[in-house]
Amino acid sequence: MSGMATATQVKRPAGYKPGVGTRGVRTANLVILSVLAVLFLIPFYLILRNALATDAEITAPEWMWFPSSPSWENLPNLFNDPAVPMLRSLLNSAIVAVATTVGTLFLCTTAGYGLARIPYRHADKVFYLVLATLMIPGAVTFVPSFVMVSSLGWISDFRGLIIPTLFNGFVAFLCRQYFLGFPKELEEAARVDGLGYWGSFWRIVVPNSGNFLAAIAVITFVGAWNSFLWPLVIGRSPESWTVQVALSTFLTAQTVSLSQLFMAALVAILPLVFVFLFLQRFLVQGVAQTGLKG
Amino acid sequence: MVAFRNHRPSQLSALALNRRRMLALGGLAAGAGALGACGGNTGRGSADGVNLSQWYHQYGEPGTQQAAEKYAAAYEDATVTINWIPGDYDTALSSGLLAEKQGDYPDVFEGHLNRAMVESGQIVPLDDILTDVLDDYTPDDLARNTIDGKVYGVRMIDDPQFLYYRPSLLDGAGITPPATFEELMAAAAELTTGDVKGLFLGNDDSATKLFQPIVFSAGQTLLTEDNQIGFDKDTVIAGALQAKELHESSSLLIGAPTEAWDPSSIIQELCAIQWCGLWALPQIIEAHGEDIAVIPFPAFGSGTPTVFNGGWDTFVNAGSEHVDEAKAFVKWLWVDNEEFILDWNLSYGFHIPPRLSMRGGAEQLADGPAAEAVRISEEFGWAENPNWTPTMETAVDDMMTHIVLEGNDPSTEFDNAVATIQGELDGIFG
Amino acid sequence: MAVSAPAADTERAGTGDQRPRPRRSGRLRTSLAFWAFVGPFLAGLMVFTLVPVVWSAYLSLFDATNTVTPLPEDFVGFGNYADMLTDRAFQDSLITFSVFAAFIVPLTFACSLGLALMLNQLRFMRAFFRSVFFLPFACSYVVASLVWKMSIFSGVRYGLMNSILDLFGIEDVAWLFSPDPPWYWLVIVSLRLWIQCGFYMILFIAALQQIPQHLYEAAYVDGAKPGRQTFWHITLPQLRATAVAVLMLILIAAYQAFDEFVNLIGNQAYARPPLAYLYYTALGTQQDLGRGSAGALILALLIAIVTLLQGRFLGFGNKEGR
Repeated sequence: MSGMATATQVKRPAGYKPGVGTRGVRTANLVILSVLAVLFLIPFYLILRNALATDAEITAPEWMWFPSSPSWENLPNLFNDPAVPMLRSLLNSAIVAVATTVGTLFLCTTAGYGLARIPYRHADKVFYLVLATLMIPGAVTFVPSFVMVSSLGWISDFRGLIIPTLFNGFVAFLCRQYFLGFPKELEEAARVDGLGYWGSFWRIVVPNSGNFLAAIAVITFVGAWNSFLWPLVIGRSPESWTVQVALSTFLTAQTVSLSQLFMAALVAILPLVFVFLFLQRFLVQGVAQTGLKG
Repeated sequence: MVAFRNHRPSQLSALALNRRRMLALGGLAAGAGALGACGGNTGRGSADGVNLSQWYHQYGEPGTQQAAEKYAAAYEDATVTINWIPGDYDTALSSGLLAEKQGDYPDVFEGHLNRAMVESGQIVPLDDILTDVLDDYTPDDLARNTIDGKVYGVRMIDDPQFLYYRPSLLDGAGITPPATFEELMAAAAELTTGDVKGLFLGNDDSATKLFQPIVFSAGQTLLTEDNQIGFDKDTVIAGALQAKELHESSSLLIGAPTEAWDPSSIIQELCAIQWCGLWALPQIIEAHGEDIAVIPFPAFGSGTPTVFNGGWDTFVNAGSEHVDEAKAFVKWLWVDNEEFILDWNLSYGFHIPPRLSMRGGAEQLADGPAAEAVRISEEFGWAENPNWTPTMETAVDDMMTHIVLEGNDPSTEFDNAVATIQGELDGIFG
Repeated sequence: MAVSAPAADTERAGTGDQRPRPRRSGRLRTSLAFWAFVGPFLAGLMVFTLVPVVWSAYLSLFDATNTVTPLPEDFVGFGNYADMLTDRAFQDSLITFSVFAAFIVPLTFACSLGLALMLNQLRFMRAFFRSVFFLPFACSYVVASLVWKMSIFSGVRYGLMNSILDLFGIEDVAWLFSPDPPWYWLVIVSLRLWIQCGFYMILFIAALQQIPQHLYEAAYVDGAKPGRQTFWHITLPQLRATAVAVLMLILIAAYQAFDEFVNLIGNQAYARPPLAYLYYTALGTQQDLGRGSAGALILALLIAIVTLLQGRFLGFGNKEGR
């Protein structure tokens, strides 16, 4: 259901499982899930295996399960590669992803709240406008976007990398759906205490939406960290490359070094893997409240 | 354009960068060079304070980026900043040329000429800086940079593309280097063993890539001198069907991890014969020593063998605030500076210096497979035509995909492609 | 269609309709508050999304090659639209998309729902499995394409799949570059499935956890067997709202498919979705912004129509349409 009401206020008994099957069914589930888990982990295994191997080991006719003596030197080699500022690009990605997340969260939650809760006459029209922008394939309007950003002087600049991506219709849509389901009673209490929309939003709504905000933050962060086309065109100088762009340069290098390439891939995904492992339980609870369920 | 050339839209990312590189460039390099540097900012301040921005795609050979920065730093009449573009250079360049703020657009850039660049006023003619040396380029290198009698680009490097093969493998199978397309197909089949395929032409474009070599090796052309369609011939249709046959034989390496501009496949012994460019020769020799030789793309039907001469050219952006200074820089670097031209062509992978008078000094190209590559490039070479537009290229590529990979009727497909291309020609010249 | 009655009430109460109209002086304050909240976002959306869209619409009426400011004499009316609609490559790209959607939409839906259901029945290791299935969402399409193209589905002997086939004495398969048989769909579809399945799984888990337990208890009392019967009569109907939303999201995402096609296959006529085709048309050396923009608008229109139809048939939007 929509709403945090149920999610936060109604605690379920710990062992609750709808439609729980028999013991046999559960065992079968466990087996199937284990097999699938192995399949899902194979790509990660391959990244790790290739990152720690030599090129000759990777291309050998005999399949190698894991390098017998891992080539750890691939890691310092990657960071010492003078042509690709790997460290700098990680830093850039971190700056871009954090700034994009904070900015998007601020803009989209306020917009989503306004669209959901402030009874302005034309709110619907504005909402449909936002919805319509979701349908536009971004890769193609991107030449006019580029020209605009250029005329603002934001090429190879954090402003160009960050600001145009902040106005995310999808996130605003999710926020609106979530706030539609936010329990009204809480806000009404705030209203009685004399808080306006602004006050009740910051003092009541935001503090009670932790899980949801965490979920949105992670989705936004992942999108910003992984985005490729825009940073490629805007981040012209190597000082402004993000990690995805840096990764792509290994692919353009002549005679691709497979091990370097996979080491770069490993470095590019590790930060996100950690973010995920730490935050994912908030995610499940947060996503439960996005209002997507209807 | 041309087959492996770069007019074709290139791919977003490097995984797929194939064509452009193949085509053109060659590979120079990539980067690895040494220093840290990031591309920007080279050069020092100059007396009159003019700043120029020069764009390169990311070459593959180690040291190239530093070389470009070294040249820029040595120039004294302006401060030249190098932009070294990884990934999809075409996209970065075409959007960069639309930028209006100085520093965001290139003043000087490398690329390949096509008519639309001239018609939309993106570049300026460079005849005045080339007057003294016009005779010192091959006719092909001039023709590919000329539109309506004006020369727009200065050739930087010539990158012939041909077939590399391992003599030991051919000897072992008791066959001689193929001189005709039939012999090539037979050799590919003969050389195919469990672990090694006979022939590698590239992955995503192994079907389409054959089109232009076949057209030229069959003695035909894409566009005639008077800009009529030149490939719509029975012999070329027969060639398309043979390409299909080759593709269906199991002697073609398809799905290698890297494209044909990268010599990895022949180095890793995944194939016996590989289409690649002169740039890769040093690496291949490192892997196989003496056991490497080169041949042109073999004759088709009643034609002669051919070699596609790829490479890169430099242009001056008409929208630059400093067109004259940019032209002066191009003249200084790519017309007059023999030391740097030779350094660029010979120190980072092999390329043929486009200036005929400088070729004698290229001792790296004096013997062995390199010398043979130069010879076949001069004897059999063909160059792209700036009137052959990306739309035309897409039309023949799709045609070949439909015929070779999907088994569609060749005459229908040829008719479709011809109609599309004729439409383009009518739009341009009609 | 909310899941349970009380929740639906909460939600409805939150929408504007039920609220008394503000009085005139309050109305101004309401407008101001609305714009304080929505204004900054909307202004940015205008500048960075709508202006480029309108600009593209303008370009779509011109022969705009290598320029974003075409001259008046290059005006071609709807010529670019006619070109694109009769362009075989563009039509083919729409077919490619349709095939892709026909695979990826039901597969993603079934897998994410299946995983969620199975996870939900576990007594232990639930968090572990959830993490494993969700983790791929952290990978970019660039990274995943790299692994798929260079390692798993590499067409040579050291690719994972070919090494496995080798055990059975089967010859190397060129997974991506030989459209007959069309193995490339396996590569493309498995990649996207791997990345996105976990995300939708989480949406379903969230929804499953909110199905009120008393429904199952009541069913049990009525003699329904746990398992198939409760699944069809309780679980599935209760998931309907989530399912509809998930379907829409999968479909919109599929329409915008681009990265993996371009990274895996490049610009091949047999596997070139609309966005990739438009990208090559509008950018790159071709830079035909007129036709590219026309194609983009046609595509946007198609997305809108399909989304609306889907909403109509499946009911998404009734409720959030206030």
